[in-house]
Amino acid sequence: MNILVGYIKDNAKAVFPLALVVVLLNLTLVPIGWPLVLRFLVGSILVIFGLSLFLVGVDIGITPMGSLTGTSLVKTNKLFIVLFAGLILGFMISIAEPGLMVLAHQIASVTLGAIPARLLLVVVSIGFAIMVALGFLRVVLNIPLKVFLLVCYILVFALAFFTQPEFLAIAFDASGATTGILAVPFLLALAVGISSLRKDSKASEEDSFGLVAFASAGAILAVMVLNLIIGTQQYDSLADLGSVAVERVAILRPFLKYIPSSFGESFISLLPLSVALFVLQKVLFKLGKYPFARMVKGFVYALIGMTVFFVGVDGGFMEVSSVMGSGLASLDNKIWLLLISFYLGFFTIVAEPAVYVLTHQIENVTSGSIKRKAVNAALSIGVGIAVTMAVIRILTPSIELWHYLLPGYIIAIGMMRFVPTLFVGIAFDAGGVATGPMTATFILAFVQGAASSFEGANLLRDGFGMIALVALLPILTLQILGFIYQARSKKQGVDTDAAS
Amino acid sequence: MQQANCERKEYELICVIVNFDLGSKVLGMAKKNGLSGGTIMLGRGTVHNRLLQLLELTDIRKEIVLMVSEKSQAHRALAVIDAEFDFRKPNHGIGFSIPVGAFIGTGNYEYDFNAEDGGVDSLYKAIFVVVDKGNGEKVMDFAKAVGARGGTIINARGSSIHETAKLLNMEIEPEKEIVLMLTKTESADGIVRAVRDNMKIDEPGNGIIFVQTVTETYGILNA
Repeated sequence: MNILVGYIKDNAKAVFPLALVVVLLNLTLVPIGWPLVLRFLVGSILVIFGLSLFLVGVDIGITPMGSLTGTSLVKTNKLFIVLFAGLILGFMISIAEPGLMVLAHQIASVTLGAIPARLLLVVVSIGFAIMVALGFLRVVLNIPLKVFLLVCYILVFALAFFTQPEFLAIAFDASGATTGILAVPFLLALAVGISSLRKDSKASEEDSFGLVAFASAGAILAVMVLNLIIGTQQYDSLADLGSVAVERVAILRPFLKYIPSSFGESFISLLPLSVALFVLQKVLFKLGKYPFARMVKGFVYALIGMTVFFVGVDGGFMEVSSVMGSGLASLDNKIWLLLISFYLGFFTIVAEPAVYVLTHQIENVTSGSIKRKAVNAALSIGVGIAVTMAVIRILTPSIELWHYLLPGYIIAIGMMRFVPTLFVGIAFDAGGVATGPMTATFILAFVQGAASSFEGANLLRDGFGMIALVALLPILTLQILGFIYQARSKKQGVDTDAAS
Repeated sequence: MQQANCERKEYELICVIVNFDLGSKVLGMAKKNGLSGGTIMLGRGTVHNRLLQLLELTDIRKEIVLMVSEKSQAHRALAVIDAEFDFRKPNHGIGFSIPVGAFIGTGNYEYDFNAEDGGVDSLYKAIFVVVDKGNGEKVMDFAKAVGARGGTIINARGSSIHETAKLLNMEIEPEKEIVLMLTKTESADGIVRAVRDNMKIDEPGNGIIFVQTVTETYGILNA
């Protein structure tokens, strides 16, 4: 069974529960019409194939390049070069991230131009880049991961005090947006490359995770600092993002419409890494013809895969989930809405591209000791709860976002004490990984659809809340997994030799 | 150090290579058939196919399962595993076993180092030490102190009868390291003894050592 077939199988398994619930809901609670359902099914097939091709591309192109970059940088043995490369790479990946671009434009229009899109894009990318470089520095200087995370989040809390609520929401959303479909695989691989040279195998394993977490904290900090500089202002929070115009009849046409934009987005986000690949090949890697061609082919796979994936998600998933959300929210019995929210969160996360990359990496780094299934289960439960909590917040407007976030992050940081460092790194990385394109489109559309059925619910505010929660809950559930794992892997029956 | 046990047991190393994700199943079956544990490494296989080569789709993730056991038991277990996986068919994996000279570590097995395995006289031995993750470096240090010239640490996972906890219906297989050292036959005894004493291999749950006779070696420099 070759890798492509394997991926198609796994992704089909991941997408199937989503298709199932859409068909079932159409037959029972929320008749959304067969054309829309058929579009969802076509979208699902595109997502399965796009995702599989993309993952092959990650496997043979992006991951090898990332870890090779990390290793080559450390081998130069010059701290200056490592830091400088961290800054440049971090900045380039972040500024080309399609999710961040969309967010920056949304914010520019909501704030009526008070925060220009370009300014936000650059500020977030600078924050991201600085933290990537500091993350490199941490590994090289051997500063414990937990200490570093603690300092990061204390800083976030301290700044959050002085940040106005709108900016707080933007900050968390920006961090979710930057750690997107390409940044995560590349950062994960970089971290492995840098840490793999360490002699101490335990430390090398632990240092393989955490870089994504720092990078996303960097984005949060950057937006908060931006707020401090430009000061508190009054924004018109009533601006409507423009709800999705639902095309109810056509089945295939909507997909065609998205092909150019999806290709453009994928191309732009791959561009900086491709340029970096060619530059580094000339300067640093000096690979032979065959391995270099292999990496280039990997990038082609990633480009095709991303395009197909985005066409499937944008054309097939968005509207269905939005219609489903508002349909469920207008039912009298809200239990259904909450149950479906949990179900969607639970199953969608497994189809998130970066999640597969993270679990794959965990398997490789731990030689398969920490199983994909276990990590997926923890992630699914976490995101399921997160989406449910976001919907509860829409139903009861008196709950503020920080009522969730503040205790959540305090617990997350407190738990670090009791959880093995490896799992702390994985958990905080997973927070960034979970907020990928599936969450930012499919789940977001569902939550906003639900919000649109309520008087007094604010589309923008509730959407932001959801992404911040999806970033938080996996940190908690994965740390719990780590805690259980540690407790259960203690050797048993060592004194009682009971072999048969 | 030698235990004057009356009856010498013969041991076999079972090696099974299957597709990724099936290693744990192999290990589980082996344990049900009386083996005391095993170690799993990740590997990569390739396919020979022109088109797939052009598309760079030749990689297959594999898992290699290593298990040591008493000879007749090993053959029984391997037969059971073969029956389940049907190794005769293509792409179902492979399994084989090799005689092992000495085996130390699971507590219930006796040990007789000087016994010849297979009656081959050889200059070299391959020493395999399986320990918990992070201890491979220590093993190397102890071995080097008594004359080992080098070794290779392989990342792996595995479980023995001492590690049987389950999580979400999956058996937990903690991370391990395999240290592989090729040494001259005359220094092998000392290295095994040093590692065995310092790592407390005889106490259950601290790892295992097994030694195999090597018939040909290349690239080992003698200073």
